[in-house]
Order: sequence, then C-alpha cells, then structure tokens
Amino acid sequence: MSAILVDGVVYASWIFLVSVGLTLVFGVLRILNLAHGSLYAVGAYMGAWLVVRYFHAGMPLALSFALLLAGALIAGLVLGPLIERLLLRHTYGRDEVMQLLVTYALFLILGDLTKLVWGVDPYYAYAPYSMLGNISVGTIPYPRYDLVLIGIAVIVGVALWLITNRTRFGRLMTAVIRDREISTALGINVPLVCTAAFTIGAVLAALGGAFTAPTISVVPGIDVTVIVLSFAVVVIGGLGSLEGAALGSLIVGIARAAAVHLFPDLDLVAIYLVMTIVLIFKPQGLFGRAEVKRL
Amino acid sequence: MTVGCLYPLSGRAARYGSDSIQAAEMGAETINRTGGIDGREVRLLFADDRSEPTYAVKVARRYVVEDRVDFLMGVVSSAVALGVSAVSRYFGIPFVGTDHASARLSLEDFQPYYFRVTNDTQQSMRAGAIYLSSRPWERLFYIGPDYEYGHRQYQDLREHLQRLRPDVQVVGTAWPKLYEVDYAPYIGAIVAARPDVVVHGFWGGDTIAFLEQSLPRSLFDRARVMSFDAGGNYEAFEALGHRMPLGLALSCRHHINFPDTMANRAFVDAFWSRAHRFPSYAAHGAYVGVQFIASALRRANSLEPDDFVAAAEGMELVTPRDREGVTSVMRAVDHQISQEMFIGITQPCSIYPPAQVMLGSWEVIGADLTLPDEEEVLRIRSEAGRSFGHP
Repeated sequence: MSAILVDGVVYASWIFLVSVGLTLVFGVLRILNLAHGSLYAVGAYMGAWLVVRYFHAGMPLALSFALLLAGALIAGLVLGPLIERLLLRHTYGRDEVMQLLVTYALFLILGDLTKLVWGVDPYYAYAPYSMLGNISVGTIPYPRYDLVLIGIAVIVGVALWLITNRTRFGRLMTAVIRDREISTALGINVPLVCTAAFTIGAVLAALGGAFTAPTISVVPGIDVTVIVLSFAVVVIGGLGSLEGAALGSLIVGIARAAAVHLFPDLDLVAIYLVMTIVLIFKPQGLFGRAEVKRL
Repeated sequence: MTVGCLYPLSGRAARYGSDSIQAAEMGAETINRTGGIDGREVRLLFADDRSEPTYAVKVARRYVVEDRVDFLMGVVSSAVALGVSAVSRYFGIPFVGTDHASARLSLEDFQPYYFRVTNDTQQSMRAGAIYLSSRPWERLFYIGPDYEYGHRQYQDLREHLQRLRPDVQVVGTAWPKLYEVDYAPYIGAIVAARPDVVVHGFWGGDTIAFLEQSLPRSLFDRARVMSFDAGGNYEAFEALGHRMPLGLALSCRHHINFPDTMANRAFVDAFWSRAHRFPSYAAHGAYVGVQFIASALRRANSLEPDDFVAAAEGMELVTPRDREGVTSVMRAVDHQISQEMFIGITQPCSIYPPAQVMLGSWEVIGADLTLPDEEEVLRIRSEAGRSFGHP
C-alpha cells in the first residue's frame, strides 16, 4: 500500500508540474495549448543536454541541479514570449478549432525542430538521479531525487497560489480571466498579462521536463505522452483550476500506481477510466465551473 | 536482382535501421565485388517503415508494384513484419525477415514466402527457460513491453518453463507501453513482489531506460535480472558504460565478442571500418539477410520466387554468429533459421569502448533444443486455424 502511495505521489508531482502550466495558460488565454508537451520536451532536452555535457567536462555533481533549472529557464523564457507574441496572439477570440489547429501545427514544428537540434538518439542524464542516494519506505528503496521532485511540485504549487491570490499581478490575471474586455477598459495591459501568463506556463512545462530528464530516457515522442496525460489531469481537475490540477495529478498518479501494482493488465487504461468516471458525474471537472456562454 | 528493404530510419528504432542499412550494403558490396550472383548485381533499395504497420504495408506494395523488386527484406518491429508478410504472401514475393522476433510469423501466421534469418522469441525464451531450469530459484517476475513482442516472449518463456520447472511461481507481470519513459512504479511493483529472478523483455532504448532507472532502486541487489531475446545488445553496454550492473544473464541475436571466430571478428571489424562504431545485433541480421538471399539464389539458379523457396528450404548457411564447425539451417517446416543460442553474464571488459562491461562466461544451448519439432509446428498452426501449403 505504501508503495502505491509513494509511487503515486512521485508521479503526481511530475505531472502536476506540467499540467499546472497547461491549466494556467488555458485560464488566462482561453487556448488549449497542444504545444505544451513540446515545451516540456524542449525543457527535458535542454536539461539532459546540459547535464550530459557538464559531466563530460568532469564538473562537480552538486551544481547539476542549477543546470537543470537553467535549462528550464532558458527554454521557457525564450520560447514562451516568442510563441505567444508571434503566433498565439493572432488566434485570440478566434474559433476553438482554429486555435487547436495552430497549436497542433506548433506541436509538430517543435517536435521536428527538437529532432534537428538534438537528433533522434536518446539522452540519458541519470547522474543527478542517483547522486543523492536512497531512502527506504517499508522494504522498498526510493531515490532521494524523487523527494526533490515532490519538493519542487509543492514549491511551484504554493508559489503559484500566492502569485494568483496575494499579488497585484495575480489580481490582474484574475481580472483578465474573468473578463478580458472589461479588463482592457479598466486600463489593464491585457497583452502583457497574456504574454507573462504564457511564459510562466512555458517555464513550468520546461521545468517539469528538465527535472524529469534525469529520471527518464529523453527521446523523440515524450511530448505526446506528457500532453495526453496533462489533458487527463486538467480535465479531471477542471480546466483553468490550480487546485484542480493538484487534485487531478494526485488522482492520476495514484490510479496509475495502483494499476501497475494491483492490475498490471489495466495499466494503460486506468487513468482514462478514472477520467471517464469523473466526467460522467462532473462534466466540467472536479473544480471546474459551469460557464454561461455569452451570445 | 533488386531487394526492397524496410527499416525504421526515424524515431527510437532509428539506430537499428541505420545499422541494418550499413550492414546490408556491406554484404551486397562483398557479393558484387566477387561477380554478383551468377553475374547479376545485387541492388538494394531502402525506405523508412516509420515502425508503423499501415505505412510499411504501403511501402512494401510500392516496392512490388512500382519498383518490381524481387525480394522484400528487413523490418525491426514484429507488428510491422506481420503486415509486410501479408503483402509478400499476396504478391508471392519472398520476404526475408532480418530482425523482428515474434514467433507468430513462423508459426500461427506463417506463409510460404516468409523466411527469417535471425532467432525468434521461441528460440530465445526456450533457451532462457533451459538456462533458468538448471538454477536454484522459485519466484519469477516478468516485465516486458505491452505489444505483440513483449507478450509473445512471456508466453514462450512461461510455456517452456512450465514443462521444465513446474514448481516455479510467477509472482507478477508488468506491461509498460513501448517506449515508456518512466519505469519507476513498475520497478516498485517488482521489488514489492520479492522475486528471485526478473526477466525483462525490453529492447533498444527501453532496455537502457529500465536498467538506468533500476540502478538507484537497488533492484540488482534484490533479484537476478535476465533478458534472453534482446537485452544483451551492444547498444545497452555502450550507453551504460561502467554503470552496467554486473552479474546479469543476457542474450541477443548477435554478440560482437562471441563466438570468438575469424568470421565474427571479420564482420565486426568490417562494420567498424565502415560505420566507426560497433554493430548492434540488427546489423548482423541484415548482413545475413543479403547473404541468405544470395546463397539461395545461387542454389536455385533462378529468380522465380517458387524456385527460391524450394532452394532455401533446408539450406545450410555459415554466418558470423556460428561457432567453428557449426552451421545455421533454414528449416523447411517454418522457414525459421535454426541456430545455437548463447547466454552470457555481464562482467568488466574494456576492449569494446565506450562499453566497460561485456558478456562473458557463456552458456551454449543447442539449436535442436530451442525450436518446436515439425509435429508441434503443424499442431500450433492448425490450432490457430491457419494452414498454408507450400507454393
């Protein structure tokens, strides 16, 4: 039982880091960003690439965490504003299908660019994963690095909550989420808020990628895996809800761990089974609010 | 004489495709340098099968209809191979399998124009069962990719093990998807089940990811980890370097350091000179594929598919993976190459850098022990409801 709980929480931490960015971007920009998985992949490649090069140069292990953070910041801070300003800005208020097609095109472009830059061979950057040693839960050893992932997810969650609920920028963001037109009329610089929110989302995706890189093999295709899982999380939790992303991640993490341990044949469907059950009873997700559509 | 080759040239299996192409070209150049096949030059065409069955079927049809190839060859994924084999059967064009391993192709879904020149899951897993049956252990956990190849390995291992060691207990199975990136919960499930032996059925990057992620979780201190079909590929030793755990029992379709014969050394050296890296087992399969087509054509003295099939059945072939004095045989009943199997133990060795660990302390399992006899093949085929006569 403890194994299911620990595996589930570790998995939830990873998926929370990525899906919270997706839900934030949807909340502010009202765009379901399919390319969010690509930003995760770029973060993972940046992190893995920096770590691999760093260790080839024989540098001390401890600084590798700073490198992972740097990789995420570079990826998110460069790509975030570029994508929002050059591409997404032109799709605000347009048909949802068109927005989906644009972000899907971006997803394909970034996937190919990733292959062009980093190639198709896997990157294995496991050194930071094993350097912290293990702790035992019951009889099962867990790498301490997993605690780092949980810690980062908690810090990110708390920081985002504080930003959205206790800062001026958070209040501006909430205003834009509630009503973009009135926000503009009140003198809020809506385009700047959108750019900032998308950049925060991009940094979070890249952060998830960079800090997951040492635990996985970084290969073409990780963008697809993560975006599908992130969608499951935000759909369960409710689109645009921070608390929903947290609870959705936990549900997905525990469901997957329980399936792996108890029902291995249901491993691949467990998450989507849970998602279906939630949607049957709460179509707008656990924390989602039913919206009145303005005509 | 044109051979239409299908290999993955993109995605995670791209290294297998790239190695196969290098080795197939190496084989064709050797044949063409010495006068071709009765004066006919071997011409190879290559296309990316994208590891997608539907796409590969289109490419195979194009090869046959537009390029008028005489042979189809290649394919890494068993799922893709099943599709290409159907094309081969429809057009009556021989398909020489050089890497994929599901036994389904030579048993339940056998068709007379299909030949495989590398070992299948049945051979490797029966060899594994024989290896396991002579050692003291009781609790087994199997983990493999959740598709045809992974499930077939488990089926082949379990069936043979039940005959040899009916007392053993399977304490769990796990089925991560192909190309899974996060094995952490699966490793947790393995440790929680407290097995004596863990058999994994991964290949390529999945092997490396599984081993790397198992290291910090002390899996290798708690159970003997083994892999009999693809886990012993050089690629894994290259990627893990000195981190490759010692004491694992592994095998695969070709080993660069065993058997230590002139032929194997010459093959590995020639590949090294050409590609500047050591070959994965996929390379050996493609090389033997070209060699096999040439030998059977010389024997048939005809390009007619039916003559080729008749000449290839029962043909003996000396490949780089055969020990001195031993030959591989293309069985007539299932068109599956019959070869000895080798299982080695990981131990320190820096002769093949960047690998720092290689396989040694080899155990050789005879070819006749790892394939079903004719009666069993026909029974399996008839139980599956499919029985194809010879052309």
